[in-house]
This record gives sequence, structure tokens and C-alpha cells, in this order.
Amino acid sequence: MMTEIILQANNLSKCFGSGVSEVRAVNGVSLNIKRGEMVLIMGPSGSGKTTLLSMLGALLSPTSGQIVIDGIDLSSMKAAALAALRARKIGFVFQAFNLLEALNVEENILFPAQLSAEGMLGAKGRLNELLERLELTTRCKALPNTLSGGEKQRVAIARALINRPPIILADEPTGNLDSHKGQEVMMILHDIARDDGCAVLMVTHDPRVEEIADRVLWLEDGALRDRKSEQHSWVKDPVCGMRVDEWTASVTTEYNDKKFVFCSTRCLSRFNAQPERYLDQTKQRMPG
Amino acid sequence: MLYWSLKTLFSEPVRLMVSALAVAVSFILVIFFSAVFEGESDQMVVYLEKMDADVWVMQKGVSNMHMASSMVWDWKADKIAQIAGVREVAAILYLNGPVKIGGKDWFSYIMGISPEYSRTGPWDMAEGESMPNPGEAVIPKVIAKLTGVQIGDEITLIDRTLRIVGFSRNTFSMASSVVFVSKKDLGDLLEASDQFSYMMVYAEPGVDGQALTERIKDEINKVNALTSDVLIESDWQLAVQMGAEIIHMMTIIGTLLATLIVAFTAYSLIARKKQELAIAKALGFGNGQIYLAALSQSVVVTVLGLLFALLISFTFLAWLPTVAPQINLAVRLHQFTSIAIVTLPVAILASLSAARTVTKVDPMAVFHH
Repeated sequence: MMTEIILQANNLSKCFGSGVSEVRAVNGVSLNIKRGEMVLIMGPSGSGKTTLLSMLGALLSPTSGQIVIDGIDLSSMKAAALAALRARKIGFVFQAFNLLEALNVEENILFPAQLSAEGMLGAKGRLNELLERLELTTRCKALPNTLSGGEKQRVAIARALINRPPIILADEPTGNLDSHKGQEVMMILHDIARDDGCAVLMVTHDPRVEEIADRVLWLEDGALRDRKSEQHSWVKDPVCGMRVDEWTASVTTEYNDKKFVFCSTRCLSRFNAQPERYLDQTKQRMPG
Repeated sequence: MLYWSLKTLFSEPVRLMVSALAVAVSFILVIFFSAVFEGESDQMVVYLEKMDADVWVMQKGVSNMHMASSMVWDWKADKIAQIAGVREVAAILYLNGPVKIGGKDWFSYIMGISPEYSRTGPWDMAEGESMPNPGEAVIPKVIAKLTGVQIGDEITLIDRTLRIVGFSRNTFSMASSVVFVSKKDLGDLLEASDQFSYMMVYAEPGVDGQALTERIKDEINKVNALTSDVLIESDWQLAVQMGAEIIHMMTIIGTLLATLIVAFTAYSLIARKKQELAIAKALGFGNGQIYLAALSQSVVVTVLGLLFALLISFTFLAWLPTVAPQINLAVRLHQFTSIAIVTLPVAILASLSAARTVTKVDPMAVFHH
């Protein structure tokens, strides 16, 4: 069953506005995602990645085209049915974590469980398993404002998994994390796809994820394009030394008429604070 | 979702308390209007209650004291005293009108009393004499406090100047205070020296008051007789009728104010948690579930407001007359229960504004970084 297609999009388009002000954010995208597959959607800012993810997550109706999730065609479904489908079939992981402030770790994870078929009672057993797996057992009573970024994202992942959805949609899940925590989160998502058979569809700017992804879809001007590995342009982050694809990187700066590329805004901030410190040790371009 | 809504509400106790207090203020306003009104209405029948008569006799066709005029020949008091079952009779001459005290007109029940019926005078004296002689008057202590008049100062009743000889307690009302003058002065003023207005009949032990009224009406011509309870109820109802429209309007204003405050509170609670509602929507919660969560918050805030209102009403409002004696307040449980009955519709109505906000929450907001 691991090759079964769980998410299917056919000729998907989304337009905002009308007439001369019409913007076609997504233009004729078709894709198939199988169970257990980890797929990345990459592309420059404003390329339509989040719009595409929103449509695939049943949060936004397409202007045209068809989405099928686990054999269910979303086209004719009403808002309430779409909400029920999101609760049972899709787990969301967001860049901003989006935890509920007043609820502790345990309560945040269990929050969507009341919408599941097995209910809260069934979810309790699953909760302990997820707490252990995501190393949150000791933090289960902590409130979100006392958690680190990495812990918050692990809670968000546990919440996404509590109803055993076949699909996980992740929007820049490492965007607010440092490279170490980001790596940890990516590996968790990778394990979810491999071990649980979930389809993980991730929008990211983080080129490191490419190494563990099964497929990378390149979205540009609202349409999927081929991007060959030769098109990578690997450079080294002058602060942390991590390999970064210059072509897709969104965190860049110019100093002394030279362009520098960073893995995260955290490294950029450090560079801006003391550029001279990092210039001496920098050999920017790496062999591809 | 309900758990989230309650936990969110209680996670910010200061904000919750402020919201509940704001709601409480509007409820207290309604209770205050009602308590003032009932306090004043009570005070309008205080004389009838304090005289503790079994039966009141008055001119035929008259069935009230408030806003009424009654004249009965004085010899009828002696005839009533001879009726079987009557232990004692007392009588007063009465006028409903203004008395000028400290340069201001005070609308009053003016009781013309005489020493032979000493029980018709003030029942609680603050200072001075309780039985005014001709040329004298006993006025409420509250009026003395408000105007600064002293014993020995003068008041004006129609065209007659009277000297204050005493201050009575529990006789003040904003609408109608009780002023005692001599029966002779009032009789002269009304040219009714040989008449009384009302007679108080005290029955022998074991005599039924209602039966006694019938006997008095049978044996004495051109009088009406009512048991004390009937006359008090009749006067109280008249007072209520006269003020009902005003109090009704005040209650509507207070309730509207409460609705607005609850609506604003519910709206601000929802508006502040828009991002979390967007998360709930994205995770699969429907508008109905989110609206119920908003409704539960409104209900909790309203019920808390109600409890605060109850607490404050029964402490602060009950204490208020001790520092502002001119205010007659009657804080009663039924005022609270009336407010409680409108609470739920108020909360539901108020949360409708939040419901509109809920339906407009965009689950796409979860993607804002």
C-alpha cells in the first residue's frame, strides 16, 4: 500500500482579483503524492507555494482544477465537510508553530483529538506515545511560552499526528529555528514519512531538506518546473559554515559589493553585527 | 473547543475580572434603579405600616391615602369605637401637599395629629418633641440634614408659619416625606376642624379584620373601611403604577447597556484570539463549534458579572443610605432574579456580534509568519 496515491491535484489554478488586476498565483499545477513519500515544494518568494499548500490542505478553494485526498474529491464539498476532512486526513505544521497559548503541551497535542473518529479517549494512548517519541514527556505540563522554538515545533508535529492523518502539510517548519533545531525537526518529519507511512508535503526554503526528501518540486510563477541538480549553486554560510544553495536562498546580504548567502536570519544577524570577523574565515564558493 | 475557550478566559484573570466588572456595573445600574424605586414605594406606605392598625376607615369612595383626599365627621370616630370587636380608634387629619422647609418645597404627607390620639405621631424620634402643639411641626431628620434647619427654625405650610420642635426618623422620601403638625392647625387651614381624614381601628384579639370592615360599613354611613393590608397594597400599587413607566424605561436602558458591554467584551475576546481561532479552523473546527466557544465565554463573563452585581448590590447599595440618607433603597432578591432571567438572552444576543467575527476568521491566517 506504500505506493498508493494519497493526494492528487489535477490542473490546479488559483486566481486572485479580476480583470486587469487579476493575479494567477497557481497556474495549472498537477501532482501526485504517495503514502510514505516526503515531497518538497521549493521556489522563490511569491511563487505561489503557500497558496498551493493552502489549496491542498482544503483551506482555500481552487479557481479551477481538482483535488483528491484519500480518494475523496474536494470539488463539491461544503465548508463543514472540508473542516471534517482537514481534522481527520491532514496534519498541519506551521512556521510560526501556532500553538494555543492557554493550553499546555499535552492539551495542545490533544486539541484536534476531539474531532477524530476515535475521540479523546482513544487519543490519550496515542498522546503518551507521541510525547515519548518527540521527547516531550518531561515538558507535557509546560505552557507554550516556556518552550524553546524546537520544543514548540515538536509539539506542533505531535498535534499534527494525534489523529493519525495520512497527510502532513508543513509550511516552512524550520523557518523559525536555528540550524541544529531545524535539522532535528526535518529528521522527525522524515521519520514520520518513513515509519508511519504518512505523505509529508513540505514548503521550504531550506536546501538541506533536499538531501532527505524523496522528491523536490520547483514552483515558479505559480507553475511547477523541472529543476536539475546541476542548477544548484552551493556556497558556504560565512557564519555557521553550512552548505547553502545560492540559487534558492532567501537570506542574503551585500557587503563591500559582494553577495553573501546565509542558511537563516539568525546567521545573517550575527554577520551584520560583526562582518569583519567572518570575512577572514570565509571562502564563499564551494565546489558543486 | 469549550475547554480551550474557558481555559483561555481564565488564563487572563485580570482581563476577565475587568470584563465581568464592566458587565456588573450595568447590572448594578438596573438593580439600583429598581432598588430606588422600590425603596421610595416602600417609604410611601411607611406611615400606614407603622400605625399597625387592623382596619382603616375613610370617606366613602376613597380607597387610598397616596394622592387622595378624605373627610369623615369626627363624631364617627366615637361611633366606630362602640362597634363590637373594636378595641381602640385613633384618627388623623391629612393633606398631601408641599411644605416649605429651608427655602425649598418638600412634597409631603402632612399629618394633623392630636394628643388624644398620641399613637398617630412619629414612631422614631431623632431629636425634640414628638407631639406638635398648635404652631409647631415635626419634620424628618433627613430634611434637616439636607437643608441645615435646626429645632426652633420655621417652616411654612400654605400660609401658616410653624416652628420646628422635633426631628423624626424613617419618615423621609424623595417623593413624599411625612410631616407632623397639630390637628388644630391643619383643621384651621382646611376649614375642617370637626373632621378627620382617616381613622385607624384596632380590633379586639381574635376579631377578623375583614369581618370588622364589613361591620363598620354596615353601621356607619358614608364611609369606606379597608383592612390595613388592603390599603397598604392599594397605595403601594398606586405608587408603582405612577413610577412603572419610568422604571421600565430605566430597566430597558440598563439592559441595553448591559447588552452593549457584554457584546463589546465578547467581541474583544474573540478579536484578540483571532489567530487562535484561525488555527482551530485550520485544524478542522467548524464555525458552529467556534461560535459555541465564543458563546460560552459571553455566558461566563455575564454570569460572573451577575455574581459581582449581586455581591456589590447587597453590600454597597445596602450601605449607601447610611452615608446618603436621602436615598431610600430596597435591595431585594427578586431584583437579582429578574436580572438573572435576562442574563442568558443578553449573553446570547451579545455573542451574536462575536459570531459574525467568527465566521469571518480566515483559516489562512495560520500561514502568517
